Amino acid sequence: MYRAEGRAGVAPYVTAGDGGLETTREVLLALDRAGAACVELGVPFSDPIADGPILQAAAQRALESGTNLKGILEMVREVRSAGCEMPIALFSYANPLYSMGWENAAKDSKRAGIDGWLVPDMIPSQAQAMRAAAEGQGLACIFFVAPTSSDERIAAAAQASQGFLYAIGRVGVTGANTLLTEETLDFLQRLRKSCDLPIGVGFGLRSADQIAAVTEHAELAIVGSAFVQRLRDAYEVNPTPSHVAAEAATYLTELQKGLRP
Amino acid sequence: MIHSTFQLPTQFGDFGGAYAPETLMASLLELEAAWIESRADASFQAELQDLLTNYAGRATPLYHARRLSEELGLELWLKREDLLHTGAHKLNNSLGQALLAKRMGKTRILAETGAGQHGVATATACALLDLECIIYMGAVDAARQRPNLLRMELLGARVEVVEHGQQTLKDAINEALRAWVGDPQAHYLLGSALGPHPFPSIVAEYQEVIGKEARAQWQAARSGQPDAIIACVGGGSNAIGIFRGFVDLQDVQLIGVEAGGEGIASGKHAARFGGGRPGILHGCESYLLQDEHGQVLPTSSISAGLDYPAVGPEHAQLHCLQRANYVSCTDSEALAGFERLARTEGILPALESSHALGWLIAKCESLAGKRVILNLSGRGDKDLDTVKQLREAQA
Repeated sequence: MYRAEGRAGVAPYVTAGDGGLETTREVLLALDRAGAACVELGVPFSDPIADGPILQAAAQRALESGTNLKGILEMVREVRSAGCEMPIALFSYANPLYSMGWENAAKDSKRAGIDGWLVPDMIPSQAQAMRAAAEGQGLACIFFVAPTSSDERIAAAAQASQGFLYAIGRVGVTGANTLLTEETLDFLQRLRKSCDLPIGVGFGLRSADQIAAVTEHAELAIVGSAFVQRLRDAYEVNPTPSHVAAEAATYLTELQKGLRP
Repeated sequence: MIHSTFQLPTQFGDFGGAYAPETLMASLLELEAAWIESRADASFQAELQDLLTNYAGRATPLYHARRLSEELGLELWLKREDLLHTGAHKLNNSLGQALLAKRMGKTRILAETGAGQHGVATATACALLDLECIIYMGAVDAARQRPNLLRMELLGARVEVVEHGQQTLKDAINEALRAWVGDPQAHYLLGSALGPHPFPSIVAEYQEVIGKEARAQWQAARSGQPDAIIACVGGGSNAIGIFRGFVDLQDVQLIGVEAGGEGIASGKHAARFGGGRPGILHGCESYLLQDEHGQVLPTSSISAGLDYPAVGPEHAQLHCLQRANYVSCTDSEALAGFERLARTEGILPALESSHALGWLIAKCESLAGKRVILNLSGRGDKDLDTVKQLREAQA
């Protein structure tokens, strides 16, 4: 589910269709060349209840420019044809997939070259139909855990996940020497004890220093809002796909400096 | 005892469930456990009962509307939830959940509101029980239900006006859910029988009092059974409250009235059963107005309380079982219902409840001679500006 297994990597989150799907296509190709461990490809949804303002705004822009799941999968097929090899996880709220039918959504995802699904409003106990469809097509399902999750819930999420487990939480950025709060550290150590899967950490990461601190305890550092904002800022300066894609590669390389050699 | 999975059934047939971010699960599990304990606690139930009786003013009357009955050629009884303190049925649930939150040791309440009635009821319960209160309200609704905005503020609540999305109830729920994710020490006091488990069950149970009371009052006043129960359906809390009192009586028709807006064909409406299909929004699976790609569609209704793209999962189940019949009423039919009740019975109904009346007036021939109970879920004082504009537009 991510490249560079055995050591740590950086996984950017990209909202599909923010700046148009042509931009997203170029961004994915650039991230592949720049050695992203994997990418989380966000499907914009009208009601993203688990997202903060940056991702909400990106989803709204993408929807306004006419982005939909079918078009996103078509674009993924194109980047695969163009030689993109990094794993791509589709990050979608439940309804766009459910609305297609779980089986059809799984088939079309697989055919396009998607490797797995991350569904932020899905918990393992609710996911029987989704998992059956995904497993039938050999798609990974990745579930979420939070600092408030009990050990039993963590074990259940780990058991239901393939590739890695997605840890959500908060990073307190209080100073150079305390990049991770005590709570976050405890959480990551607790995960390590109760699960054998690689751990992907996504909580407000934006700098190489933070990547360095997080990857002492996790295999995958996921950069969401900061990545989307950086691409948006680039788009506002110069909206050509090649410019935004170059900025994506630059930012990824900057973040990867936090990885141990 | 902290549970890692839900203890009660989460589904209503194929609908309901808990499609929730993991970040909410600890709060939902805590809520379910506390609710189960409170149901078995006689002192909790006695305290709630005392508040419902002596503070809120239950039982509300079951009133025989003789003049309107005569005009329509049927026997119409009104369950007068409009006479409950704060002017709508919403207080039944707000008092129940606020007491529950207190029992859980919460000090802060978050809530959404559309028409403002749930916001006012929650602000009221919070004032009474000394809880901090934050209400999320879409900007469009805040403009069209201004009196309720002021009432909430006077009751000590902080109103957060939601400026994005469609700026109505749906977006207020989005924002309240996000706030809850970031503030797990708060209780989210959801106002309708929707959302992730356990909310649809909790809200329906706190609203069941409407149906139980109406049934007992009917038996005291009349022999036999009513022929039909009619209620408006937004999220569906007043409807499920009264339906639950009669659902076991197979001969009693249950009729839910959705907001038909400018007509189903116009696409400008909020009729989920009329124009939607199953989908997942705000934590539960139910009927949903959505486009072919699974994006939630904008809705349209003169009534802020019915202007919502999904419907409570228990209604979806009753629809599929064909136990309840869901119909719709247009904006102009609802206005006619409002005006007719005012002139014949001296009652100004909420625009939400006016949809139930509007449908009944338009379709009274199909119920000729029948005995009908209509849930008059709220009073219309909050809607005077909207009604004035509509009348001017029609003149």
